[in-house]
Amino acid sequence: MPPTVESTATPGPVPGASPADHAGIVVRGVTRSFGAVRALDGVDLDARPGRVTALIGPNGSGKTTLLLVLAGLLVPDAGHVRVGGHDPVTDGGAARALTGWMPDAFGTWDSLTAREVLTTYAAAYRMPRDSAQARVAELLETVHLTEYADRPASVLSRGQKQRLGLARALVHSPKVLLLDEPASGLDPRSRVDLRELLRALAAQGATVLVSSHVLSELDELVDDAVFLSRGRTVTPQALAGSVPAQRTWRVRALSYGALTRWLSSTGSAWRPDDDAPPPGSPDDVPGGVLLEVAGDAGAAQLVRDAVGSGVPVTSLAPVGGELEQAYLTLDEERR
Amino acid sequence: MSTITHDIDVSPEPEPRIPPPSTGGTWHVTWHGVRTVAALELRQRVRSTRWIVALVVWFVVVGGITLLTSGAIGYLTGAAPTSVQRGPLLFAAVVILVLGLGLLVTPTLSSTAINGDRNAGTLATLQVTLLSPAEIVLGKLLAAWAASLAFLVASLPFLGLALAMGGTPILSFVLVLLLVAVLLACVCAVGLGFSALVARPAGSTVLTFLMVATVTIIAPILFVVTLPSVSSESEIRVWATPWDDSSDGMAEECRWETTTETVVHTERTWWLLGANPLVVVADGAGVAMNDRSTVDPLGGIRTGIRYLRAGSPPEVDRCYSSATTSPVEEYDPDASPVWPWGLGVNVLLGAAGAITAVRRLRVPQHKLARGTRVA
Repeated sequence: MPPTVESTATPGPVPGASPADHAGIVVRGVTRSFGAVRALDGVDLDARPGRVTALIGPNGSGKTTLLLVLAGLLVPDAGHVRVGGHDPVTDGGAARALTGWMPDAFGTWDSLTAREVLTTYAAAYRMPRDSAQARVAELLETVHLTEYADRPASVLSRGQKQRLGLARALVHSPKVLLLDEPASGLDPRSRVDLRELLRALAAQGATVLVSSHVLSELDELVDDAVFLSRGRTVTPQALAGSVPAQRTWRVRALSYGALTRWLSSTGSAWRPDDDAPPPGSPDDVPGGVLLEVAGDAGAAQLVRDAVGSGVPVTSLAPVGGELEQAYLTLDEERR
Repeated sequence: MSTITHDIDVSPEPEPRIPPPSTGGTWHVTWHGVRTVAALELRQRVRSTRWIVALVVWFVVVGGITLLTSGAIGYLTGAAPTSVQRGPLLFAAVVILVLGLGLLVTPTLSSTAINGDRNAGTLATLQVTLLSPAEIVLGKLLAAWAASLAFLVASLPFLGLALAMGGTPILSFVLVLLLVAVLLACVCAVGLGFSALVARPAGSTVLTFLMVATVTIIAPILFVVTLPSVSSESEIRVWATPWDDSSDGMAEECRWETTTETVVHTERTWWLLGANPLVVVADGAGVAMNDRSTVDPLGGIRTGIRYLRAGSPPEVDRCYSSATTSPVEEYDPDASPVWPWGLGVNVLLGAAGAITAVRRLRVPQHKLARGTRVA
């Protein structure tokens, strides 16, 4: 499913309108400073139930701060927040009861077994003991830690601890899931499992907000994407919607010479890709170029024209994921 | 290409300011919540082998010193076995030992409970659950207290040994246990308070030790060094044997004299000693006052602190002749106990620690703890 940028992020909030028009995550104009550092500088975000929303931004753009606010740990300086229909500041208990939060850095109690860790959290969420035990066993199965269930958490590897942390965030069956870099430290198999799990949770109606740097994986996972930069939500040009976004595509042909001659004759701005044949090579070696194409329609036009001109095109594909491209168009400084 | 759409202006119209977080849930306490946290903490503690080692070392040290002490007492009092009861002496020695070592060990049990968890990354995940801050603090307090009581329990055989030697009322034994237990709980709570205030575990441990030292050592030192400043030259009446060279002395009757002497007004500074845990335990659990037939250090401390509280008597009997009955009234200092006052100070300190910890654990927070990563 291709991600689409937040539609509500562009027009802005309607003055006076109730922000809680859905039971997911609603953030309006949230600011938060730490001393002189303005970590959040006017964030607007909607993460709707049944959808997986990505929170994307450079290091230091305020992702973790925003998640701390959503998890009910930080008071924003200004703005509105609704999580599952509750304000985490004024109605913290109700909001926290609905929220599962997996921080980017967390610890486990090393002397406790994985099962005891989860049972403790179930008790902390005031789940009845019987249903808690069943839920814990089910979650251990879900994150493939059943065989480690009764071993101390200290023997778990980083990825296994990450999975235990995910199970911990899910123990009370939250309606809203906040995941900060959930895939870090996970092996490829576990990443696929995570993706399937999050899609399944969204399909059951949960609101899932994922912050991650692994943009190629988010491409396949998320429905919506919110970009944060310097504490603000921004809409990358590539995802702005109305104007077909320029994206970089890679075009390969059996004859590099024929391809480049044709592109030059049409006036296209192309550049050789990484494994293009060196200048002075024979005319008919295979090779590829990179060029900017306006949207999918532009790509289709390109294929038609190339084939019509007799260029032996073998492949045409966008370079990098859509999110990655959009991310790079942010062109913001890292902090 | 690099145009960024700042899609939302922070709305210029008056935004309703977010009200301060409701404190209704902060102090909500259920046994279920407290037990969950306490069980978690104790499991963590009990499964570390150092803990068992510490208990064994404790048992050996207290036991060894108790046996050595009883041997020394037996040797020193061997000549007069009937005139001195050894039981209270040994009992006092064991109480002082257990209390002193307990005050040394207990700060380490709780003084890293909160900042240690914060550093380990397990505190925030607990704070986002439905446990209230008060439940987290009370659970941690209960666990630390239970751990310190384990040391007290390990000392029971030796207190029992002293009890078996006679001379100590069973009530003293029970009172000592109760008072020591409450004092250790106070130390645990103070440690929790510092661990919530200070980011680094080493810092909070040092501060907790400093607080314990203030009450147990520094305040008594202050009492001693301020003695000159509370001393004054005052006139007192003395019922004394007059110095009379002409007589043979023995039959001389005593008479009132007025002299000017240095009087130490300990009634102004006794409270510096009153909060000392040993004074609290001794005053609360010593055997009967003014019983000079037994050597009872705890009773002696109790008598001492009550005399210090009363200050110097206005009239002094220095008549060494038995010919007349003394008109000086038997000076009986105020018999009201000192320990409620001292225990009260300790309980207040502990309560302050616990309340501080609860307030620092409230979520959502306005301020982040220092050292926490930003964004």
